[in-house]
Amino acid sequence: MNAILKVEGLKVEFEHPLGAVKAVDDVSFALLPGERLGLAGESGSGKSTMALSILRMIKPPGRITGGRVSLDGIELSALDHEGIRRLRLAGIAMVPQGSMNSLNPFIRIKAQFADAFRDHGLKLTSAELETRVAELLRTVGLPPHVANLYPHELSGGMKQRACIAIAICLRPKVIIADEPTSALDVVVQRQVMETLARVQRDLGCAIILVGHDMGLMAQFVDRLGVMYAGRLVELAPIAEIITRPRHPYTQALISSLPSLEKRGAMQGIPGLAPLLRDLPPGCAFHPRCPQAQARCHTEKPAVREVAPNQQAACHFA
Amino acid sequence: MTPLLEAKHVTKRYGTNTALSDLSMSIDTSKPAITAVVGESGSGKTTLARMILGLVPPSEGQVLYQGQDMARLSGAQRREFRRDIQAVFQDPYEVYNPFYRVDHVLTTPVRNFNLASSRAEGRTMIENALRAVGLRPEEILGRYPHQLSGGQRQRIMVARAVLMKPKLIVADEPVSMVDASLRATILTSLRKLTDEMGISIIYITHDLATAYQVSDNILVMYRACVAEAGAVERVVKHPQHPYTQLLISSIPQVSTTRDWLDDEGDQKTAATPSPHGCRFVERCPVAMPKCSTTLPPLYRTEPARAAACFQHEASPELPNGTLNEVLTPAPS
Repeated sequence: MNAILKVEGLKVEFEHPLGAVKAVDDVSFALLPGERLGLAGESGSGKSTMALSILRMIKPPGRITGGRVSLDGIELSALDHEGIRRLRLAGIAMVPQGSMNSLNPFIRIKAQFADAFRDHGLKLTSAELETRVAELLRTVGLPPHVANLYPHELSGGMKQRACIAIAICLRPKVIIADEPTSALDVVVQRQVMETLARVQRDLGCAIILVGHDMGLMAQFVDRLGVMYAGRLVELAPIAEIITRPRHPYTQALISSLPSLEKRGAMQGIPGLAPLLRDLPPGCAFHPRCPQAQARCHTEKPAVREVAPNQQAACHFA
Repeated sequence: MTPLLEAKHVTKRYGTNTALSDLSMSIDTSKPAITAVVGESGSGKTTLARMILGLVPPSEGQVLYQGQDMARLSGAQRREFRRDIQAVFQDPYEVYNPFYRVDHVLTTPVRNFNLASSRAEGRTMIENALRAVGLRPEEILGRYPHQLSGGQRQRIMVARAVLMKPKLIVADEPVSMVDASLRATILTSLRKLTDEMGISIIYITHDLATAYQVSDNILVMYRACVAEAGAVERVVKHPQHPYTQLLISSIPQVSTTRDWLDDEGDQKTAATPSPHGCRFVERCPVAMPKCSTTLPPLYRTEPARAAACFQHEASPELPNGTLNEVLTPAPS
């Protein structure tokens, strides 16, 4: 099957007085049509920067310094400003983190949809807009009268669903959801993720889910990529990741999740995530790695195929 | 023995909104334990914490500190209260003044409460407190807040609490803003305070999984009322209140069994809520007609457990004010 989204050797750097900081360092992966891919990692691992750089939404002092991103065969770096603007939402849509801050507080929900349609050259009569919005709201399980409300009149879960409705209004091929439920309580989280799963099935689009909750990843995605210090250190089908993680960091991420089965089974990852401008030599994870050997202190492990469909950047994977 | 702290039939209203309804419990520090208070936003868990800390007065009922009404403490008693009971708040960014080195939050209490007789002794106390929460003093002291991670900053707040040699720490969502990988480390250091230093902890959270990992007892709150309470192992493994059951089934687990999304989950029922009925009736899959009209009391279903649900009507009622009977001290 041909990939719908292809990321090859993507690099993002941030200017810093002490030298450039590599926030995304040579990341490659392919997203299949209809696939749910997860990107996991700690804060500062580069997962959100990665997501933003796909849409070329990196702001100075950050810039994309290398690599290619293509959607359905179209190279995104070849597009001009106008081309990329048209592609956002229509081709690749984003469900941002903290939905409460991403809606315009001054206008009604309906008007936020109208903005999106107008910006993409769709001229709708107010009756047409009314029907489209009601239909989209119904898809995400919201009653039609929500169209006439302001964001502050909605609960957190309703706002997040409204954001999903906006994200799908132009039937994108890919949805990037950056920690879409991190501000919600568990019961509402499941409802929102159910909604996201349903609209994805109906639309047949692919999803990239960015987050750090391995439980959520285990239950939602088909494949998982694990990021550490700007690199994709493991990429494999989710069942493989859970039953046989190849990278020690993936293993540590799983163990840090509190279990409901056994008390005292929760273990933190020792040490701290490294500073990107001052990475340790060799494997960036070696100071925190329980399995580190002499070789890991000097030699940076390359990303390699450790099993069919499974890649990892560890000398011992 | 007079308990350190006692809440007697406390209710807190904000306008027409009841944030906490008729809760009684006491904290007896001769038997230290971690008690988790779990619930969604609006369940009353933070109101409870703020009342215990003396930050808001109850609308009805009393909070007693060593048998004395909190509103009528003398200056000396208030000072003692400020030492005995310490708080750790949610946001490890907002509690620091960015212009001061982090040492400031540690040296200020030492000075204000005359904890040390000399500068050197104060320094030793601070270093010991930092080590107690798993930090290396040489990596922390002399730094500014922006030079430290969220996890380090939150552990400094725990160290600050430890410095006061308190009897009780109220931790309100202490790990919700730090990375999943650091949560375990912070919670483990809280657990050590109870096990090794005999400090009782009230752990306020919306995260049932971390509550299960760290606490001895649990109170599950729903819309201002206690839905279920008891020993954490029993409550989590065999929840008896439909709300606790819903909470537990909503947590996504790392497992190759993928049933989380297919689950029917939260369903609205036809039952109509009334101000006198069970708060959970609109979302309850097993609601009975009487649930809409009568508020279920807590039924003591097991020695160390009570649930406020008419499904357990056959069990004896737990008389209001005796919630502590189902809470157990930490195993020693």
